[in-house]
This record gives sequence, C-alpha cells and structure tokens, in this order.
Amino acid sequence: MVSLSRRQFLGAAGALAAALWAGCGRDDAREKPPSDAEVLSGLLEREQRTLSAMRDGAGGEAIARQDRQHVARLSALAGAAALDRSGGTAIAVKQEGFFAYVEALPKLADPDLRVLAMQIAASEAEHLAALRLDAGEEPVPDAFAGYTLEDGA
Amino acid sequence: MTAPIAELFEAARSDSGLLKVALHVEEVAALAYTTAADGPLTGDDRALARRFAEHERRHAAAFETMLFALTVPVREHAGPDDLDALVPGLRGAGRRETLRALAELEGSAIAGHQLIGRRVGEHALDALRTVAAVMAGGAQHLVVLRYALGDATLTRAFESGS
Repeated sequence: MVSLSRRQFLGAAGALAAALWAGCGRDDAREKPPSDAEVLSGLLEREQRTLSAMRDGAGGEAIARQDRQHVARLSALAGAAALDRSGGTAIAVKQEGFFAYVEALPKLADPDLRVLAMQIAASEAEHLAALRLDAGEEPVPDAFAGYTLEDGA
Repeated sequence: MTAPIAELFEAARSDSGLLKVALHVEEVAALAYTTAADGPLTGDDRALARRFAEHERRHAAAFETMLFALTVPVREHAGPDDLDALVPGLRGAGRRETLRALAELEGSAIAGHQLIGRRVGEHALDALRTVAAVMAGGAQHLVVLRYALGDATLTRAFESGS
C-alpha cells in the first residue's frame, strides 16, 4: 500500500539529497521494500477511487476518459481486478491521487514504470488545473502542484 | 521535446549532469515568461506570464538546492543568449506564437524530467519526488497555456510533454 503522507521536500531538499547521494538508498530505509506490482496495486486502488469521484459528475467526461485509461494500464500491469470505490470531492481526490504517484516514484525499480508514474502524475496535475479552471478558481495556485513541505514534517 | 533541449538532456552523463540541465531549462523558462510579459502579452496573459515566471524561478531554486546538497557548484546561470538558443524566435513573436512557444518549452521540460525519471541512479530515486513536483507544475502551466490559445486543455491521458 502506498503512503499518502505529504512529507518533505523543498525545505528539506538539501538534507534529503545529501543523504540520498551519499548512498542511503531505499533498501536501507526499510527491510523489505514493496515490489513494483504492490506499488502499482496501491496506485490502481487510488485511481479507481478517483474515477468514481469523476463519475459522480464533478469532473467532466474528458477527465473521466483519461482516468479510465489510467485504470486500464495500471490494471494490466498490476494484474489486479477492478475495484469500485468512491468518496471525496473531485479536486480533493485528484490532489491526493497526484500525491500518491509522486510518493510511489522512489519505490518503483523499473525505469519504464517510473516514467509511466510520472506521465500519470503529470496528467493528474493537469486534471487539477482543468477542474479549477472550470470552477472559476486560480488554476495553478502554486509552483509545485500542491506538493509542499508540511509543518513539522 | 524540442531539439535543443533534447540534446542537452541526452548529453548529460550523470545524475548531477541531468539536474544541471534541468536547472538550466527552468532558468530559461523564467526568462521566457519574463520576456513574454515584457513583450507581446497584455492584460490577463501578461499577469499569467509574470506569475509563471515566478513559478519557474522556484523550480530553478529547487534544482539548485539539490545540486548544492551534492556539493555541485552552480557557477553559471542562463542569460538572453540561452533563451535565444532554446526558444528561438520568442523575441518579436506575436501573442499566439509566444503562447505556443511557451507551451512547447513546458512540454520539452516535462519530457526532460521524465528522462531523469528513467535514467536516474537507484541511490537517487527519492529525489524524483522533487523532479515530479516541478514537472507537475509545468504540466499545470501547459493546461493554462492551452486554454489561453483556445485549444483543448487535456490532450493526453499519459502526459509525456512531446
């Protein structure tokens, strides 16, 4: 299961990057890192929740269509059956979905899967901007698509 | 990815080299938005360009912080010549050409960030969160630029930038 906590980064980027480049890899951080399939399964579950929120009418057909493509690709790669869950507003669900892809990136060993996760993360960020445009809100309220350091993180 | 930016990313031979290119592209993007705001863009477009220029400066600062942590010095910063090299024709362009050039630049940066995602060493994977957050900011810029151009805002389910 993917952690959805928004920990780190800009303020802590220096210490983080120094530790990383000094050789503290992901294998040192936990005894048994999740497999790529486990990471993808977590992303699939979240993507399906997002799709449900879009189906509830808040996001528009274009976003729902792209979300269905995300679910199909992740399902095929993870070998997982489809779930159907719902909950949350479209923007909130999308925001958490974007965070999930960002958090999953370092856990993916396969470079192709990392690129896929980045492509979907970019798509989710675009959905957020489009939803805000539709709602008459500022579409890009910050430089990092909402991914910021939490107080005390 | 536009050819000049693709060449820069492809030529990078190390994690720090990739980050240096990413920093350079973000600095050029900040110059591009500033040039657009000072030139052909007016009204809401101009305000947008000024806001996005500030975002690009924040993106550049994020990459510079990462390089600093690696004890990699950043001795040079992008200037007008670099803008002309990576975004030729921006100066003197009209509104639509300017917005189109900015969109192409954002797309190229996204593609470059995803190349970092593919090529970065395993010891540096956690740093991809920062790269992805910068990439996502660029993807959101792309939506607004498409909207300003009157284009469809969402074009790909898997945004590759190219």
